[in-house]
Amino acid sequence: MKYMMMMSFKADKESMSKSIKTWPKQDVQAHIAFMIGFNKELKASGEFVAAEGLAWPEQAKLVRAGRDGSPITDGVFPESKEFLIGFWIIDVETPERAYQLAARASAAPGPGGAPLNMPIEVRQVMSGPPEEFQ
Amino acid sequence: MKYILMMSGTKADFEWYTKWSKQELQAHTAFMRDFSRELKDSGKFVGAEGLAFPDEARIVRAGSKGEPITDGVFPEAKEFLAGYFMIDVESPEEAYRLAARVSAAPGPKDRGTQPIEVRQVMSGPLEDFS
Repeated sequence: MKYMMMMSFKADKESMSKSIKTWPKQDVQAHIAFMIGFNKELKASGEFVAAEGLAWPEQAKLVRAGRDGSPITDGVFPESKEFLIGFWIIDVETPERAYQLAARASAAPGPGGAPLNMPIEVRQVMSGPPEEFQ
Repeated sequence: MKYILMMSGTKADFEWYTKWSKQELQAHTAFMRDFSRELKDSGKFVGAEGLAFPDEARIVRAGSKGEPITDGVFPEAKEFLAGYFMIDVESPEEAYRLAARVSAAPGPKDRGTQPIEVRQVMSGPLEDFS
């Protein structure tokens, strides 16, 4: 079963004031080292499918098709909006295993090396559109 | 440059999908399949996934011993990722053009266009810092 583990955060002032951009260099390095080690471990156990990091929310655009199909872009979002900042896709036997791995990611080191205990959203990834759609 | 095109919706939006007619769902799925094929043929396809409905979503945090603490209660307004395309294109403008195509994917007559969030995908871990 494939699962997606998602890291998201709000881009309001309070959240941004705690963002990784404000951490001391060595804390950032410890965080990145943790992520690299975690990915390596997932690869070694055969549970790794993919991992990606996204650009910062200020680069986010909302795109809609205009009347003639041309893109209409908008870069203004409500303060409450959660931005996906990175994700993993893992291949595991049970949802419980996905939750265990999400807890590991949740405890990634933050400022001072303390575990962040950040919320990780976990949801199954479907292998194709539901049968009734086809 | 890699970009992600994200389709999201609230729980209510997801429930609305279950009310589409079979024909509308089939037309939508066929569009998505053809769009993926077109991206693959032009060498722009990196990945595409669809996620389970939000009622299966869990928020997981590490407890004091590192054990998973799961929670399945979300605010009504929370937007859930429904699916994404990841593409490899020459410019952000090309990403926006392709996002506009997805935005206009077929649905029920009164559906209108859908907002697609577009953001660059970084090639390394937090490359701003390395």
